[in-house]
Amino acid sequence: MAATPISELALQDHPPRLLAGKSPGMRLARHTLTLIALALLVLPFADLHVLSRAPWGELGRIAQGLVLPHFGSVESPLSAIGLTVAVALWGTLAGMIMGFPLALVFSRSRFVRAGCAFVRAIHELFWALLFLQVFGLSALTALAALAIPYAGIFAKVYAEILEQTPTAARDALPEGTGRLSRFVYTELPLAFAQLAAYTRYRFECALRSSVLLGFVGLPTLGYQLESAFREGRYFEAGAVMWLFYLLIASLPWWAHRRLVPLLALSSLFLLGPWPDIDASLVWRFVSQDIWPQPLLAGDINGLIDWLREIPELLPVIANTLLLGLLGSVGALLVALTLWPLASHHFGNRLTQVAGKGLLIFLRSTPELMLAFVFLLLLGPSLLPAWLALALHNGALIAFLVARHADNLKLDMVGLPASGKLGYQLLPRVYPGMLALLYYRAEVILRESAILGMLGIATLGYVIDDYFQTLMFDVAFLLLLITAGLNILVDAGARRLRPKGIQPS
Amino acid sequence: MRLAFAPLSLLLLAGLFSPSILADTFRFTAIPDEDESRLVERFSKVADYLEEKLGVEVEYVPVKSYGAAVTAFRNDQVQLAWFGGLSGVQARRLVPDSQAIAQGAEDAAFKTYFIAHESTGLDASNTLPDDIQGMTFTFGAKTSTSGRLMPDYYLRERFSEAPEKIFSRVGFSGDHSRTLALVEAGTYDIGALNYAVWDAAMQDGLVDTSKVHVIWETPTYPDYQWTLRGDADEHYGDGFSEQVRQALLDMDDPELLESFPRSGFIPADNPMYAPIEDVAESLGLLR
Repeated sequence: MAATPISELALQDHPPRLLAGKSPGMRLARHTLTLIALALLVLPFADLHVLSRAPWGELGRIAQGLVLPHFGSVESPLSAIGLTVAVALWGTLAGMIMGFPLALVFSRSRFVRAGCAFVRAIHELFWALLFLQVFGLSALTALAALAIPYAGIFAKVYAEILEQTPTAARDALPEGTGRLSRFVYTELPLAFAQLAAYTRYRFECALRSSVLLGFVGLPTLGYQLESAFREGRYFEAGAVMWLFYLLIASLPWWAHRRLVPLLALSSLFLLGPWPDIDASLVWRFVSQDIWPQPLLAGDINGLIDWLREIPELLPVIANTLLLGLLGSVGALLVALTLWPLASHHFGNRLTQVAGKGLLIFLRSTPELMLAFVFLLLLGPSLLPAWLALALHNGALIAFLVARHADNLKLDMVGLPASGKLGYQLLPRVYPGMLALLYYRAEVILRESAILGMLGIATLGYVIDDYFQTLMFDVAFLLLLITAGLNILVDAGARRLRPKGIQPS
Repeated sequence: MRLAFAPLSLLLLAGLFSPSILADTFRFTAIPDEDESRLVERFSKVADYLEEKLGVEVEYVPVKSYGAAVTAFRNDQVQLAWFGGLSGVQARRLVPDSQAIAQGAEDAAFKTYFIAHESTGLDASNTLPDDIQGMTFTFGAKTSTSGRLMPDYYLRERFSEAPEKIFSRVGFSGDHSRTLALVEAGTYDIGALNYAVWDAAMQDGLVDTSKVHVIWETPTYPDYQWTLRGDADEHYGDGFSEQVRQALLDMDDPELLESFPRSGFIPADNPMYAPIEDVAESLGLLR
């Protein structure tokens, strides 16, 4: 045997293993690849059939409707816009009023934290389905459907913001300063800008949710959007979409801080109709309709039969989780591909504006609406839902990542785009991107469940079944299961999230 | 720039109205079984007609789902409703004393058509062909009588299996117009729909008969009916229920009737729908 050169010996002693090492970069790479491998592993179990025979022709007609919208065909657009804004504004305000006090006790009360996690875990549309049963198609249903989950979200996020407020001012106070004074003079002013910024963001989300309430019959913009798309009147659907995009794009002007009180007061008159609340009906719903009927009768054997009659839930639960995972990984890949389009480090002015436009377009369109359109094109498999989740959430993350990247200064000049991306920008923005994805996982799972209402085989599908057949007790149980699943996944995501990374 | 948008905010505020519930308006709804434009056209005419006959303000409340129609009736947001067989039974169980007061002349013996895309190679026959097993299939709405309940029942009767076992895929299109569109486009091989909707679409030349045709029709069963809340007399005066029933039975404007499409309305009562109730219970859609 010939002597081995020393350099090779050294290599054999420490064979370079792919992706080994404890550096943050390697850790994130392993993490990401595991996630993608997991998605690929479960991919064969997902039903991704294209059921439609001629999706391209239909897609062409939808695109044509978007490019050449027919505004005259939209019936009373002003009242629909008015109601959409009024519901979003008052839903947000009510959520804020309920959420703020909860935020103050959030870290001290396990009960409050659990309650908030629960109301957050149920999607606005599911809340709407519940309230529809007692308040009918009314403003109260719409407001409650938004305000209740938002209260839970506000409580959590406000609490996080307040916790991160610098303590220097508070520490400088003389001993014995009252809790209230301490809060009003040293904590609130420091946190105010962030609280306000988050509330604005929530309001934009509320506009999207308010539109979606049209899908269950409340006369917001979504009402006409749903009918127009379903019946193939794409020119009208395109017009409503444009109205919605204009509404979102012009937010900084019409929802200017100084106009908010005026807007709130006057939009109060746009809210309606108000229901005649039938207390006995509400009581019956809360005390009887939503509880297992045999349980109320004290019949234990009947309860077992009741449970047996619920069809197998495992397939829909598995589908919901599967869609959540595929949606998250899809969103990551979409974000990785799209963010450079909107960053000023790449391309020219024209491509940047176009890229930003694309991201805003995808981010402003609610998943449910995207899924609804893809479903018309492709038929009710998991595929349209996956596309919708990946595109919407991916664009949302890409938008934030691009903004982060734009704030970075590159120290090495003259690198080609690939070098800038690979060596200078991606290593710096990627940790934030992954953290954002983990924050988003909870939202993606919530959406996976609700997309079932469109006919995709996730939890929302069976929940809608039981609402349609008026078996509210089973529907309620399924909602509890959905919420539980969501809370579990959220906890899991928090655990798995690469440590020491804050989303930017 | 900011100033330029201020008028937009004002416009949002000024040009709008808030519809509020007036106590004495008589409201009705209908299950959304067809394209909304069709429903709005049909029922705004009915509203005008009833307003003239009853001497109270009458308003049509459109809804998005069968369940929402029943809920609106239950919550007294509407006092009258044009229900299908099953939704009517659901509603009358939830609102004691409510009555089926009239049905279409055709509704005493209603039926469902099974339709197929041309690519299936199926022809019209006297029984459901064995070949449909393994194909894809769509119902209409989940609680539709002619689009779900009865076709489900006859499928089970023919094959002794649940539809999910018979077909490779079972969907719910949402309404009859959509079932027709989906089978015509070939998204599903087979569909089941309200025969009156099919006949009307054929008459209006809206069906591409080279793509889709009827392969089987079910035996007859009772279907659509007008259902009125039991407390109508209390709210609108003695004899109001009878007035409503008479107005519906007297409807003879061909244009109005054609929009349903029905040749006229005949009296109906709750026991007529017992067969529907039985089938729904056996399928687990009612309890």
